[in-house]
Amino acid sequence: MRLGPQPRELIDRSQRVLFTFDGRAAGGYTGDTIGSALYASGQRVFSRSFKYHRPRGLLCCSGHCPNCLMTVDSVPNVRVCVEPIRAGAVVEPQNVWGSLDRDALAVTDKIGGPFTPVGFYYRTMIRPRFMWPLYEKVLRNLAGLGKVDERHHGHSRYDVEHRRARVLVVGGGQSGRAAALAAATRGPGVVLVDEGMRLRGAELEGVEVLAPARALGIWEGGLVPVDAGGVLYRFRAERIVVATGALEQPLVFPGNDLVGVMLPDGVRRLIRDFAIRPASRAVVLASDDDALEVADELREAGVAVPRVVDLRTAPLGRIEAKGRRGRVSAAVLDGRAVECDLVVASAGRQPSYSLLAQAGARVEYEPSRGIFVPAELPAGFEALGAVTGEGCATVHPLRSSGARNGDKSFVCVCEDVTTKDVDRAIAEGFDSIELSKRYTTVTMGPCQGKLCQLASIRLYARTTGVSEATVGTTTARPPWAPVELGLLAGPHHEPARRSSIHFRHEEAGATIQWAGPWKRPYAYGEHPEDEVRAVHESLGVIDVSTLGKILVEGPQAVELLERLYPNRFGDMKPGRIRYGVITSDGGRIMDDGTIARLADDLFYVTTTSTGADAVTAWFEWWNAVWGYDAEIVNVTGALAAVNLAGPRAREALSRLVDDPDDVAGDAFRYLDAKELDVAGVPCLALRIGFVGELGYELHFASPAGEHLWDRLVAEGAWPFGLEPQRVLRLEKAHIIVGQDTDSESNLLSAGMSWLPKLEKDDFVGKLAVEHVARREEVERLVGFTMEEDVVPAEGAQVVIEGRPGGRVTSARRSEAVGAVIGLAWLPPERCEDGTRFEIRVDRRTVGARVRHGAFYDASGARMRA
Amino acid sequence: MSFLLPCPHCGPRPVDEYACFGEVTTRPAGESPSLRDLTEYVYFRDNVAGVQREWWQHRDGCGEWFLAERDTRTNEVLSISEPEPAPPV
Amino acid sequence: MTELRFLSPSQCAEGSTASPLRRALDGAPEQVRDLSLQGVLELRGDIARVEAGEGEELVRLSPRRGFLFTPGDPFEAVARVRAAGVLAYDSTGALAGLALEGEQLMRRLTDLELTKLPAAGPFARVSALVLRDEGERFRVYVPQELGHDVALAVLDALAGLELAP
Ligand code: FES
Ligand SMILES: [Zn+2]
Repeated sequence: MRLGPQPRELIDRSQRVLFTFDGRAAGGYTGDTIGSALYASGQRVFSRSFKYHRPRGLLCCSGHCPNCLMTVDSVPNVRVCVEPIRAGAVVEPQNVWGSLDRDALAVTDKIGGPFTPVGFYYRTMIRPRFMWPLYEKVLRNLAGLGKVDERHHGHSRYDVEHRRARVLVVGGGQSGRAAALAAATRGPGVVLVDEGMRLRGAELEGVEVLAPARALGIWEGGLVPVDAGGVLYRFRAERIVVATGALEQPLVFPGNDLVGVMLPDGVRRLIRDFAIRPASRAVVLASDDDALEVADELREAGVAVPRVVDLRTAPLGRIEAKGRRGRVSAAVLDGRAVECDLVVASAGRQPSYSLLAQAGARVEYEPSRGIFVPAELPAGFEALGAVTGEGCATVHPLRSSGARNGDKSFVCVCEDVTTKDVDRAIAEGFDSIELSKRYTTVTMGPCQGKLCQLASIRLYARTTGVSEATVGTTTARPPWAPVELGLLAGPHHEPARRSSIHFRHEEAGATIQWAGPWKRPYAYGEHPEDEVRAVHESLGVIDVSTLGKILVEGPQAVELLERLYPNRFGDMKPGRIRYGVITSDGGRIMDDGTIARLADDLFYVTTTSTGADAVTAWFEWWNAVWGYDAEIVNVTGALAAVNLAGPRAREALSRLVDDPDDVAGDAFRYLDAKELDVAGVPCLALRIGFVGELGYELHFASPAGEHLWDRLVAEGAWPFGLEPQRVLRLEKAHIIVGQDTDSESNLLSAGMSWLPKLEKDDFVGKLAVEHVARREEVERLVGFTMEEDVVPAEGAQVVIEGRPGGRVTSARRSEAVGAVIGLAWLPPERCEDGTRFEIRVDRRTVGARVRHGAFYDASGARMRA
Repeated sequence: MSFLLPCPHCGPRPVDEYACFGEVTTRPAGESPSLRDLTEYVYFRDNVAGVQREWWQHRDGCGEWFLAERDTRTNEVLSISEPEPAPPV
Repeated sequence: MTELRFLSPSQCAEGSTASPLRRALDGAPEQVRDLSLQGVLELRGDIARVEAGEGEELVRLSPRRGFLFTPGDPFEAVARVRAAGVLAYDSTGALAGLALEGEQLMRRLTDLELTKLPAAGPFARVSALVLRDEGERFRVYVPQELGHDVALAVLDALAGLELAP
């Protein structure tokens, strides 16, 4: 029922807004919140509690408690008391079996349940283990908050905006506004954030007002994320003024959670902002002047107020609320019952210091006023108004403890924790507030301790007989206000790297997969083996733009590379290529690739597809240590690259170059690097043989990617993907660093003892190689062929005489070899060519034999052709 | 971690723009060190609760490498400097 | 032996090059323009020795690193800069470029200080080079292989500001 016009009401009575609630039509006015509209139309039960399914109604009406959580337009856990009304909204109660007024699970409140005592989940439902999934399902259904609608995505979008402020003021009360205005006279860049509805669109000269919006926390570097609905503002502020005020604290007494027990501010809001008569008969239990004033406001609103108690001057011994069907019917004060349908009760105000504590302020207890106040603010922070403790005090919130047969006294309404639960936790030995917090979950619910921290600390102090200062507070952590995860995640962009030829692969119907940071074709058709055959028998082309490509240039380029690699490069002639491996000083194989010398002082280095960034950083870092006169330039993205491979490669290439003699056998030998114009595109052509056939890697400016690709395909080259490439390289027993090697592998165990040039003064990893050489060999990487046509999984166990003896790192079926082939780590004494061992495949063991050298074209005649 | 780290070239920037390469270590010089010394160098770090010299790269910015002295307890950066490379042998 | 011709899109045959953004920006609103394939060099060495010519723009990231945007043929600019004793690499093909308008759009995509440009830093979760022209007009250069996704992120941010369909 609405009152006559109130002087500062927020509603516009000329604008009806309709929405649906629990399947029925509901309505209110523009300016209402969903909660105020529902309250005005007579709704009193707003939710069912977390554990006991007790009916709960508006408590704070300010967005601080868990009592009005509902699902709005599929978004769960919306505080409807502060959610602006909007036409057509679909509002549903949550955590209810049945209806808000008749919840079948309320029985747990009467008889208790398996999960009613504190810490139940640490003690029960542990055995039998196989029941865990069932327990979880049951508990999730019974307890907890709203459910995420998996089909509907709630908010249509979330955005993040990066902002800067000279002065950021959090809290738009009197002191916050005054501070903002004062700061604005000294220049621009002043922003004020307030969570209430009142300041919406407010104009403060020179101040940018964000309201309703919530500062979620304060991080290092003056980072303050502000939740403004669909947008998260990430503020970096030079100075932060915290004026978050103080919050009314609930009194703890039997029945203190009944529907109709409210905090004074909430009652005031219903009357002032929304012109609602909150009840017909109210009892007011005040601990400060603000609360006393509410008694007058109630009377003015036509509510009978038979009893007002100022707890500062007339401390009551016992307070109890009696209810019918979960709603307040009487307040029993020192044994005398007063009939009422509203109990306005507070223990006074406690400063909202959390943001300051997150920023590093110390918090101390003031026994005379019964509050915790922030002390010693870090540089760049200022606290103003009630948050400093100004005008704040509380009476002991705990009343009437030891009630034997009364109703439950709730310390924490979010998690349904009673005084009994806390007593029990203390009795069980959880005598530190941080431990007890985790055990009882007090302060861990949706209010984040706003309404329960003080009461629980004071209850602790009283029960354990120590001072509140000794009990102390729990660590203040963000977020201070609830926030949707989607907002923290921001827009869903996961940038993928795509080669400049990428869309040709999509157009050709390739199966695209992630390969490190890249999107790459797995294969173009259903049968990767067809693509393998094309390379062996005629001509294939693969997009290898993802290879890392680094130019190393300068008078000391040779010296730098010779110290980074175990290899020698000084003896290379310009125009030649060498295979190189990078190791760490611990001897671990980090990456491999080719090094082409383009000029005396210029090298072109390729790395693996996932290694480009790490190898560039590695080179740069070492050169920051050593200071050689050489530049390291990552040209990975600047260049596209394709590998044209197959017996027809030379013939196809010769048709695309100006002078076919340039690619003739003698003019362009295996491991030559050469600049060539191919189909009008200047290329660096590298003649190498990763896939085992005659092949040319063409590296050229990225923007020409599609053009050159199209021309090669037009010459009859079959596109092949990553999977066929894996088969082809395995046929050559070429390793993939990171798949066939791991952090234990070194050059010697990986069968590359020929590579490190130990006579060099120094290279990264030299010391480790020397030590490894002296040590007894533990395992070795070798090739094998399977005796049966089964493909073991990568990682499959090698079995030697019935015991685990190694592992498989790669295995594929090769048509060309006519067998299943692979690479495996074996004990050194089992590595003779032809030695038999077994591999576990699908719960049985299958025989395999060691095979040295390449499986295909062992002499290398084909790739050198 | 959201502290601002000053880059010698770009000024203060959020720490997530940088790559940290960890404590400055000393590589055993000269003839072959003992396995113990090598292992210490490769795997062991002081990991102090206090001021530590570290390698940083402004990965998302100018790309340059530099050294910073940072208090690991407070993330306060006491100084930054450009590397002074050891002369090549 | 080499002038690094293979790095230069300008040395490719007429009509053989294409922008990495042309699919993502097909039908994009006019607040977003494709600047890819505009000439730019990556510089290494003593940047102070580089002189920007007519219409060129030198962006200095550190005393030893920078970029030179050039309206002319970047392949020729490479030769000129190298002659002055500074290493230069044609990075025209390495970068995807976008011209954008609006401070708020920029704030949705980067936390770089918009009053302190040019600068290198993150943009749409990617390392970028960001420049400012008159008023609220900006240019953003990102690695070309990430350009497609960055362009989509820009269009999405515009949609968030209800500036694009
Ligand atoms: S009544 Fe809505 S949050 Fe307390
Ligand atoms: Zn920098």
